[in-house]
Amino acid sequence: MTLTVYLFVVGWPLVMATALLIPQARPILWRMMPLAPLPALLLGLLVSQPQFVTGEWFVLGLTMGLDDVSRLFLIFTSVLWIAASSAARHWMREDPRATEFAVMFLLAMSGNVGLILSKDAMAFYGAFALMSFASYGLVVHTRDMAARKAALLYIGFVVVGELILFSGLVLAATQAGSILLADMRAAELSGLAVALLLVGFGIKLGVMPLHFWLPPAHGAAPVPASAVLSGAMIKAGLFGIMSAVPLGVVAYGDHGTVVMAAGMVTVFAALLLGVQQTSAKPVLGFSSVSQMGIIAIGLGAALMTPGAWVAIMPVLVFLAAHHGLAKGALFLGVGAWAAQTGRVGQIVLTLAFAVPALVLAGLPITSGGLGKEAMKAALTLGSEVWLPWLTLALTLSGVATTLLMARAIALIWLNPPKAPASKPEALALPFLGLAGLALALPVVWPLLDATMAAPVLDATTGALWPLALGVAIALTVAITAYAQSVGLAEFIDMLTAPARNLSERLSNVWAAKRRAARRLGAAVPRMIEGYTLQWRLSQTAIAGLIAAVLVIEAASSLRDVRLVTPALRLGLTEQDTGLQIPEVETEIEEREPDAILDEPVE
Amino acid sequence: MTDMPLLPLFILLTSLLASPILFALPERAANLRTGINLGVAAIKVALVAWLGWKVSQGVVYDVHFTVLPGLDFKLQADPLALLFVSLSAILWLITTVYSVGYLESGSHRARFFGFFSLCVAATVGVAMAGNLFTFLIFYELLTLATYPLVIHRGSAEALRAGRIYLIYTLAGGLVLLLGTLGLWIVAGTTDFVPGGILADVAAEQRLVAQMLFVVLVGAVGVKAALVPFHAWLPIAMVAPAPVSALLHAVAVVKAGAFGIMRVVYEVFGIETAQAIGMTAPLAALAAITIIYGSLKAITQDDIKKRLAYSTVSQVSYITLGVALASPIAAVGALAHLIHQGLMKITMFMAAGNLAEGLGVKKVSQMNGVGRAMPGTMLAFTAAALAMIGLPPLAGFVSKWYLAQGGLDTGAVWVVALLLGSSLLNAIYFLPMLYRAWFRDGTETEAVPARRRIGWMLAAPPITTALMVLAVGGFANAPFSPLEWTRFVVAIEYQE
Repeated sequence: MTLTVYLFVVGWPLVMATALLIPQARPILWRMMPLAPLPALLLGLLVSQPQFVTGEWFVLGLTMGLDDVSRLFLIFTSVLWIAASSAARHWMREDPRATEFAVMFLLAMSGNVGLILSKDAMAFYGAFALMSFASYGLVVHTRDMAARKAALLYIGFVVVGELILFSGLVLAATQAGSILLADMRAAELSGLAVALLLVGFGIKLGVMPLHFWLPPAHGAAPVPASAVLSGAMIKAGLFGIMSAVPLGVVAYGDHGTVVMAAGMVTVFAALLLGVQQTSAKPVLGFSSVSQMGIIAIGLGAALMTPGAWVAIMPVLVFLAAHHGLAKGALFLGVGAWAAQTGRVGQIVLTLAFAVPALVLAGLPITSGGLGKEAMKAALTLGSEVWLPWLTLALTLSGVATTLLMARAIALIWLNPPKAPASKPEALALPFLGLAGLALALPVVWPLLDATMAAPVLDATTGALWPLALGVAIALTVAITAYAQSVGLAEFIDMLTAPARNLSERLSNVWAAKRRAARRLGAAVPRMIEGYTLQWRLSQTAIAGLIAAVLVIEAASSLRDVRLVTPALRLGLTEQDTGLQIPEVETEIEEREPDAILDEPVE
Repeated sequence: MTDMPLLPLFILLTSLLASPILFALPERAANLRTGINLGVAAIKVALVAWLGWKVSQGVVYDVHFTVLPGLDFKLQADPLALLFVSLSAILWLITTVYSVGYLESGSHRARFFGFFSLCVAATVGVAMAGNLFTFLIFYELLTLATYPLVIHRGSAEALRAGRIYLIYTLAGGLVLLLGTLGLWIVAGTTDFVPGGILADVAAEQRLVAQMLFVVLVGAVGVKAALVPFHAWLPIAMVAPAPVSALLHAVAVVKAGAFGIMRVVYEVFGIETAQAIGMTAPLAALAAITIIYGSLKAITQDDIKKRLAYSTVSQVSYITLGVALASPIAAVGALAHLIHQGLMKITMFMAAGNLAEGLGVKKVSQMNGVGRAMPGTMLAFTAAALAMIGLPPLAGFVSKWYLAQGGLDTGAVWVVALLLGSSLLNAIYFLPMLYRAWFRDGTETEAVPARRRIGWMLAAPPITTALMVLAVGGFANAPFSPLEWTRFVVAIEYQE
């Protein structure tokens, strides 16, 4: 394939955007909208071998191409764009600024596809900038106060991010002596260059503390735009880091520590902030932040231990695709739900919404559960000191995501998003398609690339208990919240009502005692009510949750430590001092029965 | 093979001879005037293209007449001259189209186009001057030819601006005269020679060389709007839009920047300039100007003033690239000579269109102008994003080379400086784009459309915007400004 094909794939949305300037062509172009990302998808599906194409005259020498990683990124990104375009067609039907949205949407699409296909720093940077700046138009689209604020914050972060990225790329290009990303990846970049690249891309990725722009922007953008912002575009940050930072080549211990710590904080803190949101889309935005925390943990581990990169890399790509599809589906789901007018449709869509929500939360066998377990397995190659904590964070993220998803579902009902009056089924279709794909990902992924999928398929299916715990906490919180909203005394009244009725029927003998009980029952709730009002419900819940997981994980990791360490310690202490040996031996004897049992067989 | 040894002189004469004819034409002979204007401009572009071809083939042009013994009037067409000549020839053609449209119903058109032509002739002379003496002649001519253009409107404000402009530039010219005399006395010649003519002097009389450097660079620094000699530039923006466009993109400011190149590269030589310890202070001054100009630009509400301060900042990129004394940075500097010209001329012509078509002269009136004048604002947007430094637009290429040049000499602060400058660029350009495209025009209290914007006003900014895209997007292609720049730098650094 030639450069022309690549330029066509990137340029096709640009051609459509230009054609939108002609008013007569607009209806046809809107109908063609889902076809705009199609060349990208076809390219991704058809190219099986790594490719390089060059255009000597462009900028400072243009290089484009596809490899194993970028191919997978291209496929899931273009699928998301196709779904979002189909939804946009109907979502924007009566919008007075539909044309402007379409232009910005297509520009961002071209940038997103372009950066995945770029192999040199200029093209990458250009496409990245095109995507980021065009998305401003998507965020600000509704022009209400929230959108304007979100867009201002967004563009501020974009500009700063672009500048940091520029300096990072200049440093990297100088140190590598080449503008090819592959050469930068193979070079021993200085710590400063890597730090700049990590921050520049980290802003796009939304890892704390660089996340501030993300939830408001994803909340303010129209639904189809949120889907690609959250599903496809933030992955550009991950893709950039994977393309330009010498992961698996050079160890950057300090960078790794910071990224990993940021990732862990992100997983926890995004939950705390997310559950306090009052509408569904920012909650989903915070869920994205939380999920990118997991990605950051993987990146941090690979920065610390280059040897672990081989194992971590395929998992990161898988997680990116998994989150992209599930989160894209969820955002489109919010839109599809909002367009429903009938109660039945709303209930059906809520159930459908729960599918990608559960996938994201890490339901066993689905991509969420597999991805998380594969990540845990890959992390065992990394730092041993961090490992128990990482496992803890990953487990916790399951609970956290479940809670965020529960919050999102509750908010759809409590605070329904506004939707244009359009065909509800037309909006439901892309949502259901993406949700289905998110569910089918473990099956589809090996078909795309068996080698890259192997570590994921080899992973254990994942545990159900974090999910169950999340659901339990969510239910508890929901019930408590309901109790608070009706008043605690009344709530207890409601709970005790059946018993009361029964007792009334039974006998008057109980009447006196019941009156006494009632007096008591009125006094205690008042106390409790005053108490609970001072505590934010969510914080209490989370504190309990963290405590619970800590206990469970501490128990299991303690067991692991006791299994492994004595044998190791034995080897060391035999040579050093005899003092500790008896103590160690006694521990070993406790653990020996299996070995002793095995011996007679021989 | 020099089948036409006087080609540089012909190029100079095209616009120089057109000038008296244009003066002589009666005011109402508009069509004839337009014909002459465009005809001459087109002929010049063709001649320059021919010259460029010849020079790239290795032909050397040298035209000189002896004025006094040892003092020659000398024109040469070295690659550096050609870079500037082609910029001015092409942009002159475009600006002529724009001016014809702009002044369609204006007064004193004979005077305007006469001086306009003279101004471009002076610029070409500055570009092709083969020694500092010739340079001085055209440099002064440029001052005198632009003054009537700056005060063209004849308002009190314009006259005041013209006075300030004259004070600054004539003072600069006087200092340049002294410097030229000094150079002649010290070196016995004023020729521009790659590698410089002052290596021996600098070795023996370091202080004299240093003083000469300060005098010469200071003199041309006035036109290059280096802080603290920049004040005339924002005031001179009262001139009509095409004049501002030409002033900022090609003629005056660029003559100053070009002068700095000639002085540093071909009077002193970059190694000598470094040896006498003058490049670092020059780089520092350029850095200060870059940041100062940008900071001042943020506070301006008047569109043209904001653009003017932006020029103060952007032109110093050129000085910075020269002063960094790295061939890579030099490529950035020279490319920026072209790139900045294209970007800024686009913006000034777009600003002119806003003022003429919508009566919008202030940033705060720009709400919704994108919808009202999409073509003009698309051009403006492309130029603004190029200034911020987004690839594949022109500004990115120069910034990339400047940053790499800074790292090349171990000056990491250059990257930080470019970062800061780009951030400031974004801070003063993005709000304009935001208002133009993302705000509705209801709050505009501007005067309703004064006149229709014909193709003569609409096409030039779009053309230059496309060029901004092309010189960046095809920076690596043969005969792109960047390629030519690499050729020039190889000569100046004698590689």
